[in-house]
Amino acid sequence: MRRLALCCGFAVAAATASAGDAPRMDAGRRIYAAQCAACHGARGEGQPAWDRPDAAGELPAPPHDRQGHTWKHSDAMLYRIVKNGWRDPFNKTQRLTMPGFGRALSPQEMRDVIEYLKTMWTPEQKAFQKQESRHAPFPPEAR
Amino acid sequence: MNGRRRFVVAGARAAGVALLAGVPGLQAAPAQAACGRVVALAFASSLRTLFKASADAVYRSGDGGRNWALVALPPATVSRTLTSIALSAGGKGALYVAGLGLGVVRSDDGGRHWSARTKGLPGNDVAALATHADRPGTVYAYLAGHGIFRSEDGGRRWRLMDAGPRGGITRLVHSNMPGSMQSGWLFAAAPQGVQRSMDCFCGWHDAGELGRTVRAVAYDPRQPRTVYAATDAGLFSSTDGGEKWSPSNAPGASVEALAVAPDGALYAGGAEGSVFRRNGDATAWERINA
Repeated sequence: MRRLALCCGFAVAAATASAGDAPRMDAGRRIYAAQCAACHGARGEGQPAWDRPDAAGELPAPPHDRQGHTWKHSDAMLYRIVKNGWRDPFNKTQRLTMPGFGRALSPQEMRDVIEYLKTMWTPEQKAFQKQESRHAPFPPEAR
Repeated sequence: MNGRRRFVVAGARAAGVALLAGVPGLQAAPAQAACGRVVALAFASSLRTLFKASADAVYRSGDGGRNWALVALPPATVSRTLTSIALSAGGKGALYVAGLGLGVVRSDDGGRHWSARTKGLPGNDVAALATHADRPGTVYAYLAGHGIFRSEDGGRRWRLMDAGPRGGITRLVHSNMPGSMQSGWLFAAAPQGVQRSMDCFCGWHDAGELGRTVRAVAYDPRQPRTVYAATDAGLFSSTDGGEKWSPSNAPGASVEALAVAPDGALYAGGAEGSVFRRNGDATAWERINA
């Protein structure tokens, strides 16, 4: 059932994306597969039991699909986290919770992968995230 | 004449009434006014005023809690039970009061005039409310069975952000403790302990292992990693954002409400309107309205 829901999400997103977005969406999909899927799952499903710390005291990689919370974050915040990474201050290790990709990816590539994540959300989630981004858009370097 | 009216009349005879005459919404009250159990405390730094709420009334004190004046709320058309009071960040210090049956009301003049700020919420039963530590327009409201709503325009419009932690919330506070992905953290007093979430609502987690019912939670604005929790087994404090808790000396009364003043003084509210204050961990509690 969950897989069916995800498929429906892709179908809606594909239907609403304009033809001009296709190359960037393809780029985002490739970058996601190469850089993100190992932790966040091939379909953005996240790691098991992602909502609680693991045995090492670290938060597992969350889903990016409609089951997760990525859709609650503005473009500016998503870009900042992808670029700089982030460490949960309550991690029991000193490792980053999310590594930064500012050296591995260009600003355009980081934006592309974020745009690809949006294909995993429901229309309502996309609308919510768009609203959150009104006052917190991508930085100039990624526009 | 009911107890509330007797209280108001008695207050009108108090010496402080002259200062308040002609000010709508404020009525002088003696220090020993018939305030019930204190359910919420809030400190307005810009006004140097302490507010306390019982289930049915709000009071203010401009002298550190020694004398209290009743703050008149909008007339009740249905039964209501107050749950929260909070002051907005910044100089203006808008006062919010929330409750079951009340929804959210806001005053921009210290309680003289009120406006309803419930539009966009799914009902009037607001179980907990908090204001953002730094952003004057941002307010959070929790409605059991619905979740946590956020307003960024002072309560004019609300958006559902999150279902909230499992088990519900009895008190909510926003903190500007560092380390959040967004702008701060939310701490919730809950039946299973203190719950903590970044204010981007990336998920609620246990803050430490209190593992017991928490009645109130507050943090020290001077040292945001310092958090206090009032539980059914006494008062606890944490200096690491709620990861580790230590028992802390508590006033004798059962504590139902907590607030920290800008100078770090901790206020605790309990039964029969009692309010206590201490200036540091090592100092004794003082009952300030005795």
